[in-house]
Amino acid sequence: MVGNPNSGKTTLFNALTGLRQKVGNYPGVTVEKKIGTTWSQHGKPIQVIDLPGAYSLAARSPDEAVLRDVLFGRREDTPQPDRIICVVDAANLERNLYLVHQILDLGRPVIIALNMMDMAAAAGMKVDAAELEGELGVPVIPCEAVHGKGLVGLRLAMSRVDLPLARHSWDVPAPVAPAVAELQAALTDHDGRPPLVARAEALLLLTDLDSVRVAGSRPLSHRTHEILAHWRQRWVTTGADWSATLIRSRHDAIGALCRGVVTRTREQGPSRSDRIDAVLCHSVWGWAVFGVIMAALFFSIFSLAEGPMDFIGRQVAALADWVQGAMAPGDLRLLLTKGVIGGVGTVVVFLPQILILFFFVGLLESTGYMARAAFIMDRPMSKVGLNGRSFIPLLGSYACAIPGIMATRTIENARDRLVTILVAPLMSCSARLPVYLLMIATLLPGDTVPAARKAGIMLLMYVLGTAGAFGFAWLFKRTLFKGAPPHMIMELPPYQPPRPWEILRHMAERAWLFLKNAGTIILAISIVLWFLTTYPKLPDPTATPTEQIAHSFAGQAGHALEPVIRPLGFDWRIGIGLITSFAAREVFVSSMGVIFGVETPEDNTTPLRDALRSAHWPGGAPLFTPLVCLTLMVYYVFAMQCMSTVAVVKRETNSWRWPLFQIFYMTGTAWLVCFILYQAGRALGY
Amino acid sequence: MPSSSLNARVQLCQLPAGATGRVCQLTGDESFCQRVREMGFGEAALVTKISGTTTSLCLVKGTRIALNHRAAMNILVEPIPAVRAGRTE
Repeated sequence: MVGNPNSGKTTLFNALTGLRQKVGNYPGVTVEKKIGTTWSQHGKPIQVIDLPGAYSLAARSPDEAVLRDVLFGRREDTPQPDRIICVVDAANLERNLYLVHQILDLGRPVIIALNMMDMAAAAGMKVDAAELEGELGVPVIPCEAVHGKGLVGLRLAMSRVDLPLARHSWDVPAPVAPAVAELQAALTDHDGRPPLVARAEALLLLTDLDSVRVAGSRPLSHRTHEILAHWRQRWVTTGADWSATLIRSRHDAIGALCRGVVTRTREQGPSRSDRIDAVLCHSVWGWAVFGVIMAALFFSIFSLAEGPMDFIGRQVAALADWVQGAMAPGDLRLLLTKGVIGGVGTVVVFLPQILILFFFVGLLESTGYMARAAFIMDRPMSKVGLNGRSFIPLLGSYACAIPGIMATRTIENARDRLVTILVAPLMSCSARLPVYLLMIATLLPGDTVPAARKAGIMLLMYVLGTAGAFGFAWLFKRTLFKGAPPHMIMELPPYQPPRPWEILRHMAERAWLFLKNAGTIILAISIVLWFLTTYPKLPDPTATPTEQIAHSFAGQAGHALEPVIRPLGFDWRIGIGLITSFAAREVFVSSMGVIFGVETPEDNTTPLRDALRSAHWPGGAPLFTPLVCLTLMVYYVFAMQCMSTVAVVKRETNSWRWPLFQIFYMTGTAWLVCFILYQAGRALGY
Repeated sequence: MPSSSLNARVQLCQLPAGATGRVCQLTGDESFCQRVREMGFGEAALVTKISGTTTSLCLVKGTRIALNHRAAMNILVEPIPAVRAGRTE
């Protein structure tokens, strides 16, 4: 299943396969192939591959290279597909047909899914599917994937054993024909391509010059490269631009085709999207709206989540009390109340905030606002040497750095892509949310503090992370990855009303992921941490809980780290949290729950924030002063504390060099900024 | 090309909002020119500027396309009075 970005491929893929791959109203949602199964009219399984969107087979970014390599059979892991479904946005037929035109050259069975027929009609366009089918000679199925229309026709076409091949006639411009013939012969003889595929690939090589390669892609033979270099050299010498001639020739053919297929039923003035864009993309109002959306997000996190959070907190406390009453005293009861419930329960409390965050993310993604955010952010991004396209991965990293880093595959320039990968984890992800919330609750306890004040501190952390990302991008673009600011050319999709079920489903998926994480990684770490904070036991039964934890394995590790973090105002107990939260940032909260739970008397289920507020240094000075809470938040803004992100960066850069560099520069910056902040705060009397 | 139309050429970033132009030349690197052409923004295409000075928002063959300043500088257009470059909704 192939098509232009935002043509509705994944929506159609989900409708056919019953899967729930992520969809969004902005380009670049699918960056890797997705595989699902649908059923033919006769009940036979059909494997469907959803490929990343592209405007052309001439790949310029890693996601487009995946599409090209699968279609040309260059992938080691994926055989060349038996038939190709081209998903076409009927409202943008002419532009969408460019990719179809290239694919028809392959000489493979093709089905055209003429999607978004409703939007074409709303735009005053009548698209004649029968005429298009007659012209091209391949099945053309009108459909509306969003409303599930046309799926039966599409399934019937997919079930046909003998799909007709395209009556596709397009004369290669005469001056290019000798080069095409020579390359075609080399691809057939030296790369084992069938003749038609070889011709299509020869045409492609003359425009993309085999410039983008990704892992898993079979290289072309030396002979083919030699011929390509020879023709390239010849054209450079004569000053001819044959790739432009090829593209123009295709567009001419498509233009002629569209004149017979598309009828304009009426002319329209500015559309609804134009009117909205006049405000949202305005140089002043655009920023104002962006600011209001962000402020509403943070305010909602504090004002709306309070009730559900208190409710979950009460249930967690009640469960701990119940276990306390139902079991006999001993290590097992301690493990359950202080280890399992004290650890996992403290993280689960933050579920409402996570849901609110993903509600806003879903709203921005489904309406089409993400692309507008990239548009208005282009100007500040260009100041640091990147462009607005890099902002979509960064914006996605507010939810989680992993999909954000994967979304960088849409960035064409390799250096800009690497810079975006390096700075993406500085955007405050949802895993930092529990840490910020706990620290803000400790810093500003009680219900009398206005939500706006708490939201303001939270907003400050997000601004700090974003400023850090911009600052380091600026630095990297001037040192390690010097280069001119890149071009940006990006399609802005029409606005669509939010789809509540899609947003709710996305929220439910993220909630499940959060709870699964709490029930697996966080649970395991909490149990291990409880063990490490409980053993070895002091022989003296009158020892205080603090003396006991200091004597434990975890206490010894924390004490070993303390000299490094003491200049930041952190003690060995916070140090334990910093070590364990390298697995995932939210583990810091569960670790504090276990450590300070172990420290409190057995029959006490004090809320964690109160336990933190009563913690103190051996001399009696409070540990979690406002300055320490703030410093700790700043540490989590900058430090690289996520194993999964390290693994993804390694995979995306195909090297350990960059993830190790990322750990070094981010955690080093975190230490330095916190040192300055804490020492300056102390000097000023805080 | 007549000298009058040569004089009328402006960079896309200089085209006023609401005006329409015909693309007459693409400058810049080869990869950029190809991508622009593949998206239907090639020579002879009609483009209507919706808004923007540093970052331009344009309408080409019914599609809204955003371009940064550098990209818009590399597209030379010839302003055409009172034509609109198609629309999708």
